[in-house]
Amino acid sequence: MITLRGLTKRFGPATAVDDLTVDILPGRVTGFLGPNGAGKSTTMRMILGLDRPTAGRALVDGRPYRELRHPLHTVGALLDAGAIHPARSGRAHLLAAARSNGIPRRRVDEVLALVGLDERAAAKPGRMLSLGMGQRLGIAGALLGDPPVLLFDEPVNGLDPDGVRWIRQLARSLADQGRTVLVSSHLMSEMQQAADQLVVIGRGRLITDAPVAEVLAGGAAAVRVRVPQPSGLAALAARLAGEAVTVEADGPDELTVTGLTAERVGDLAYDLGVRLHELTPVTPSLEQAFMALTGGSVEYAAGSPQPEAAR
Amino acid sequence: MSALAGTRPAPRPGALAGAVAAEWTKLWSVRSTWWTMLSAVLLTAATAGQLAIYADNANTNDDPADDRGVVTLGSVLIDSLELTQYAVLALGLLAVTAEFGTGTLRTTLRCTPSRGRVLLAKAAVTAAVTFGLGLLLGAVGALVAAPVLGEWGAAPAGGTVRDVVASAAYLALVSVLALGLGAVLRSAVLTVIVLLAVLMIVPLSLQEPGIAVLTRIADAFPGVAGGHFLAGDGEPYPPVVGLLLLAGWAAAALAAGRAALRRRDA
Repeated sequence: MITLRGLTKRFGPATAVDDLTVDILPGRVTGFLGPNGAGKSTTMRMILGLDRPTAGRALVDGRPYRELRHPLHTVGALLDAGAIHPARSGRAHLLAAARSNGIPRRRVDEVLALVGLDERAAAKPGRMLSLGMGQRLGIAGALLGDPPVLLFDEPVNGLDPDGVRWIRQLARSLADQGRTVLVSSHLMSEMQQAADQLVVIGRGRLITDAPVAEVLAGGAAAVRVRVPQPSGLAALAARLAGEAVTVEADGPDELTVTGLTAERVGDLAYDLGVRLHELTPVTPSLEQAFMALTGGSVEYAAGSPQPEAAR
Repeated sequence: MSALAGTRPAPRPGALAGAVAAEWTKLWSVRSTWWTMLSAVLLTAATAGQLAIYADNANTNDDPADDRGVVTLGSVLIDSLELTQYAVLALGLLAVTAEFGTGTLRTTLRCTPSRGRVLLAKAAVTAAVTFGLGLLLGAVGALVAAPVLGEWGAAPAGGTVRDVVASAAYLALVSVLALGLGAVLRSAVLTVIVLLAVLMIVPLSLQEPGIAVLTRIADAFPGVAGGHFLAGDGEPYPPVVGLLLLAGWAAAALAAGRAALRRRDA
């Protein structure tokens, strides 16, 4: 279990992580989502005792990371996978980590086999490793101490579709074994399939901490309406405007209505005598739910700046 | 802790022993270690040979039986350190600056979160390896210089051994000093510049005008203190004080490195 209490990190005037209070529970995959620059990596570095919090605490199984004597047995992490000495072999890289925590040499071979790096790949010096091989090596390092808590920072970066599926299954099986699994990503579609719980942050602040299903349901459900007659379209749009909902024109004959059920939209059209060619409830993807949640929190939004979302 | 943790075999080495083993593995798994050691050996052979030739040429005494102009083998070895120390202390320097440069420091600190323990482990490995290398360099320097010096060299067994061991101790301490400074400064180039200043440029500048106060200040610098220890001078302080001063500098650099690692984000 990972416990964050009022966790805050400032770099000069910039606040990277802002008063984050969250529990990451064991037995499930928690997706850690946010746009680039939202503070995900900084949060993970604070959990791992690399960055010092400006305020608040980050605890792993109730203890600050810096107090752990053999931390690899408690927490495994994939963090900037490219960080290997260019001249050192992947195997020696793992062996040094293993020896630091009293992990036997055969465990190095075990985790190498587990992540699918053969002897030749493991003997390559760091500079010869591809991004995907670096990721696999990083994951091997995370698994070395067979830890109950695992952190994966953007694990699917640089992986092919097979690798992505493999990571997803790995995270799932680790969670099923009762471990705490925190996976950060800026890719929503990935998390929709991989995670049980979502912790979403934007500009360092907690936006939501909820099960995936709930986030999906909470993402404003919409209804797509297609009206063949322009006059009917205008009439329906005018009527809907009175219902305090969001209406978007998606084409010459299409509206997307947010905030009303399909039944209610159909009834209104019937009252007005407007002929419909389509009336479809649209289930939002996590992508859309995420956009709705973080719309105001994107660090570098394209186009005109939006006011910061209220917490 | 969860049940998962309880199923693992219990015996583990101490955290410091583990950190030392990791540093040892890291040191020998990169080729630059071997190149650095080879360059130190070659540099020592060249420098000791050259100094021996100078000693021969500087001789104006026609009668070798008269011991004016005869130098000890140990003194040639010690003088060669002036240059060769930079090849040796590179080992201490790279042990930490390479980790900053490649980002592997984050892995190291995740394995061993105690910053003091990490530096202590690095210092132990650096000191042991550079001490051993120092002994080897003493042997190499002696093998090269002794035949060149010929009749102008004296090699009393006890004195020569003492000089070689003292040189090795000097190299180990200077390498640990480089390690601590590297942890503070992070860049290898910057660390070398500061080391050149502290070991050579600043004390030489202080000694140059021959003003007593400035010379006394220069005596407190690590290179000068180490020099007094190596030369076995009684002045301005006994050799052991020179050794302690140098050790103090190394310890202070380690403490500063630890403070920097604790304070800064990795």
